[in-house]
Order: sequence, then C-alpha cells, then structure tokens
Amino acid sequence: MLGYDISWAAFNIIEVMSASKFTFKRIGYLAASQSFHEGTDVIMLTTNQIRKDLSSPSQYDTGVALTGLSCFVTPDLARDLANDIMTLMSHTKPYIRKKAVLIMYKVFLKYPESLRPAFPRLKEKLEDPDPGVQSAAVNVICELARRNPKNYLSLAPLFFKLMTSSTNNWVLIKIIKLFGALTPLEPRLGKKLIEPLTNLIHSTSAMSLLYECVNTVIAVLISLSSGMPNHSASIQLCVQKLRILIEDSDQNLKYLGLLAMSKILKTHPKSVQSHKDLILQCLDDKDESIRLRALDLLYGMVSKKNLMEIVKKLMTHVDKAEGTTYRDELLTKIIDICSQSNYQYITNFEWYISILVELTRLEGTRHGHLIAAQMLDVAIRVKAIRKFAVSQMSALLDSAHLLASSTQRNGICEVLYAAAWICGEFSEHLQ
Amino acid sequence: MIQAILVFNNHGKPRLVRFYQRFVKEIQQQIVRETFHLVLKRDDNICNFLEGGSLIGGSDYKLIYRHYATLYFVFCVDSSESELGILDLIQVFVETLDKCFENVCELDLIFHMDKVHYILQEVVMGGMVLETNMNEIVAQIEAQNRLEKSEGGLSAAPARAVSAVKNINLPEIPRNINIGDLNIKVPNLSQFV
Repeated sequence: MLGYDISWAAFNIIEVMSASKFTFKRIGYLAASQSFHEGTDVIMLTTNQIRKDLSSPSQYDTGVALTGLSCFVTPDLARDLANDIMTLMSHTKPYIRKKAVLIMYKVFLKYPESLRPAFPRLKEKLEDPDPGVQSAAVNVICELARRNPKNYLSLAPLFFKLMTSSTNNWVLIKIIKLFGALTPLEPRLGKKLIEPLTNLIHSTSAMSLLYECVNTVIAVLISLSSGMPNHSASIQLCVQKLRILIEDSDQNLKYLGLLAMSKILKTHPKSVQSHKDLILQCLDDKDESIRLRALDLLYGMVSKKNLMEIVKKLMTHVDKAEGTTYRDELLTKIIDICSQSNYQYITNFEWYISILVELTRLEGTRHGHLIAAQMLDVAIRVKAIRKFAVSQMSALLDSAHLLASSTQRNGICEVLYAAAWICGEFSEHLQ
Repeated sequence: MIQAILVFNNHGKPRLVRFYQRFVKEIQQQIVRETFHLVLKRDDNICNFLEGGSLIGGSDYKLIYRHYATLYFVFCVDSSESELGILDLIQVFVETLDKCFENVCELDLIFHMDKVHYILQEVVMGGMVLETNMNEIVAQIEAQNRLEKSEGGLSAAPARAVSAVKNINLPEIPRNINIGDLNIKVPNLSQFV
C-alpha cells in the first residue's frame, strides 16, 4: 500500500495461506490479494490450497478463500477452479452462495469458456430465496449484459418480472440500468417499460432510484424518438422531476439533474427550453462542475431573441472567472453558441465582432486561434459589415503593443494575424 | 464495477488502498497522488462526483468521494454503478467501521489496517457490491472475530515463526530458489534490522 514491493515474499504468503488456523489463513489471503497478480510465478502453487479451502467445512474458510481469489484469479486458476466454484453456488449457506455467484464474474472474465456451463445455474440464482444471493446474481448478469447486450435480451422478461416484484433498491437500480442498456437494441422492450417506470417514478421516495428511472426513460424515448406524440407526457414528467432535482439544495442532485437534462436536450430541445431561467441561475452557482453542466445545456437553449442576453451574462462570468480552464471553457462555449448552425441566431454581426474583440482582451487563453478563425469567417462571408470589421481590426492592430507585451506566449498572437489579414484583404475600407 | 477504493488523509497519506484491477505499484502510487490532488481542490459544499483522473482508465470512470473529518474516502467506479448508490455505500462502509471500532478515527485505520480490510471484504468483493445492509455486514464480522478469538488470536502464533522473523538475516537467503521447473530469483535487499 505504501509502495514497497513485497513480491519476494510470495512463497511465504502461500505458506501462511495453508495454515490450518482461520486467523493465519485470513492474513495470508489478505496479503495475497494485495500482492499477487498474473505475473507471480508461484501462483500455481495455490490451486490445490484454494481447492481444499473451498471444500472446507467451515464457511469462513471458504469465504476467505473466495474473497482472496477474486483479487488474483488468473486464467489458469479460473480454468482449474471453475467447477468447484460452480458447485459452491448451490451451497446450503447463503453467505457462500452469494460470494460464489459474485466471483463467477471474475472467473468468466479470465476464462470465458466457463460461462456456458455455469449460465443455467446463474439464472437459477436469480430466483434464490435469499435476497443477498438474488442481488449478487442480478449484479453479475447486469455486468455481463453490459459487455454483450445482445445475448441477454432473452432474459428481459425475467428481469421485467423481478423489476415489478422486487422492493430492494439496489436490485431495482441495477435492473433499470440494464434495461437502459438494452433498449437501443429492442424498441418494443422500450414501449413496454414506459409504464412500469413511470409508476416507479411516482411511487419511489429514494432519489437514487428516481434518478435511474428518469435516465432510463430518457434512453427509451431517445430510442423511440421517431416522434411519437403520445410520449410527450413522459417527457414532461421527466423534465418536471429533473427540475425538482435541480432546484434541490443538495449539490449532488443538482449535478445529476443537469446531467440528465442535457441528455433530453439532444432529442427534445423544446421541452427543456421552458426551464431556461433555472439553468441561467445554475450558471451563478459556486460549484464549477455545476457551472460547466449548465453551460452545456445552454447550447441548446439559445434563440434569436435571447442570444445577446445570454452572451452578455456569459461575458460577465468571463470577467469574474478565476481559473483559466473555466474561462477557456466559457470562451469556447460563447463561440460555439454564436456560431452554431451557420450563425443562425445572430441578427447583428457588428455586435458579434465587438464581442470577439472584447474576448481578445482575455489574458492567457489558449483559444486565440478560435477567435481568429471566427473573425476571418465573419469578415469574409458577411459583406455588409466589412467596413466595421476593418475599423475594429485596425484599432486592434494599433493597440497591438498591449497584446504583444503580455508575457505568456498565448494564442492571442493568432488574432493579430487575422486582424492583419482582414485589413490587408479589405484595405479599400481602411481610412 | 468498482475499480478502486482509496482512503487517504488530508495530507495525502494513504490509509487504505484496494485496487480491483492490476496496476504496477509505481502506477498505483501515482494514482493515489493524482486522486489526492484532484480531491483536495474541492470545496466542502460542492458535489461529490469528479470526472477525470486520466490514469485510472478511460472516459467511463468517475470518482465518487466523501470527506469525513481528516479522511477522504474515494471510490473509482464505471458507468454501471449508480452514483447516488455508491455515495450511500460509502456511508454504509463508514458507519460499519464506526460500529466495529466504536467511534472510529484515523488511528484505528492506521493500527488495525487488517481489520479494516476484512470489513471492506464483506462490503465489496472483486469490484462488485456484495452486501449493503449494515447489520448483515456487522454480524458476519463479529462471527469471524469470535472464530479468531476462539483460536487464540495472533498471540498464539507459533513461537518458531516469531523468532524466525526476529532472526532473519537477509544476505543469507539463497540467490536462486529452484523447485522443479520453477526458477525464482531472489532480489538483492538491503539489510533491515
């Protein structure tokens, strides 16, 4: 843990692991789990020892062996011990069953051929009477399904039943996340899910579950987004719940709410627009991560009318911003917002040029080339403002000694290049 | 899946380090240092989720942390885990530590590192959540403690073992250990008293 190598003690660790007393065995397995890895030469000596421990009458010996093994299992160990672990999945004690089910995931990762024989037993465990074992089985199948969703679509009805009958929040969260991963592959599944998910959203008091339900509903709606009008009620519900999350004083909920809103934004921008005031409020938050999320959302909320107001607000933030990363982020965002869809939202290009000039006054930015590119783009394409642009550029060049004197070799030099080019190209407008 | 669990104090000293994926020890130390710097910058009333930390994996990973008095508990998880659920889990872990150690403090983690690991082993196994019910976890830990007590505990270690460690004289360890077709080269270690 402190960074000292203990690989020289590997053999001694194995000796301690083979002690008959539980106390020492536990210590041995702990040391092994911290230091053994696939490159450890002596690891194959552990196979028989682990096998003995797995069939030990004491459940804690078995437990300690399973826990330790989960940290250093190698393909060879997995191949040799897969059968023993599979039998343990049907052990009388739920403590052992739970651990055996959970370690099967690691075994599958290292030795994929073991998945096929073990899978029927794993499925059985989904209906195990002990809730701990059931949740371990759900955990393993969800992890497997995330890696390879197609193979597990057939289990969807079983999970559906579990979702409607279970009360354990962890299990529900895992299943709902799994459905979120499966819906892109099977739109019909999505349609069936909307109702139980909406019920859960209305009935649950756990924020974590609510958030996951909302997330999955969004995923479903994105996959069904061929514009089905009767889903607008679900969208409204999601947006409403997310608004509650964002308004909460708990920063974590705010962050998650904003994160989910930005997902809705991609496919249903109109539903999010009515909450513009809330997002603008979030921009003033002390927390930088929240401000960054709110910035992301703003992108989809601009329109011709509110663009200037939003950019003005962002400029005040740029002045206040302390760290350069945040400032840079703001700068990129301002430019992104203004230039999106081919400058669709800009009504007054002269105003835009003056904004760009103001941005050049920022110190230490890395995005000088962005500002430069924008200036060039606008000057070339918008004939009408060329005169204004040239006058601004020549003013900029006159004050160039101010810019050049800044000690950092920042991207502002690029702006000088653009200014000079514009003045040269459209010199007929120069006074 | 949980990729790593780190506990360190306000000065960055690691108190518990558990990786569920193989990293070389230099990289492990680097990860701990980097995580510490990322987490230290965070104020106390901002959100507990951090994305970033380039070393520990790709863009799928995030750091979920909680700050208790002098310790930071950081879980590095991927997108298959629910963020609020993990926050809850950190709380369960800390409450279990509190129950098992009676008003746990940093010294307990320093002097009883093994016990902390055993408790963690009942909560998270192989990177996946094993048990979230605090009473269940505490019951299992107490049963194992009783088993350990009945065997006489560590003080009953064979006297030979204790004296063997006391008398260890490193330069006498063979340079090469050959067993069958295994060939282990023993590294050259400096004298330690």
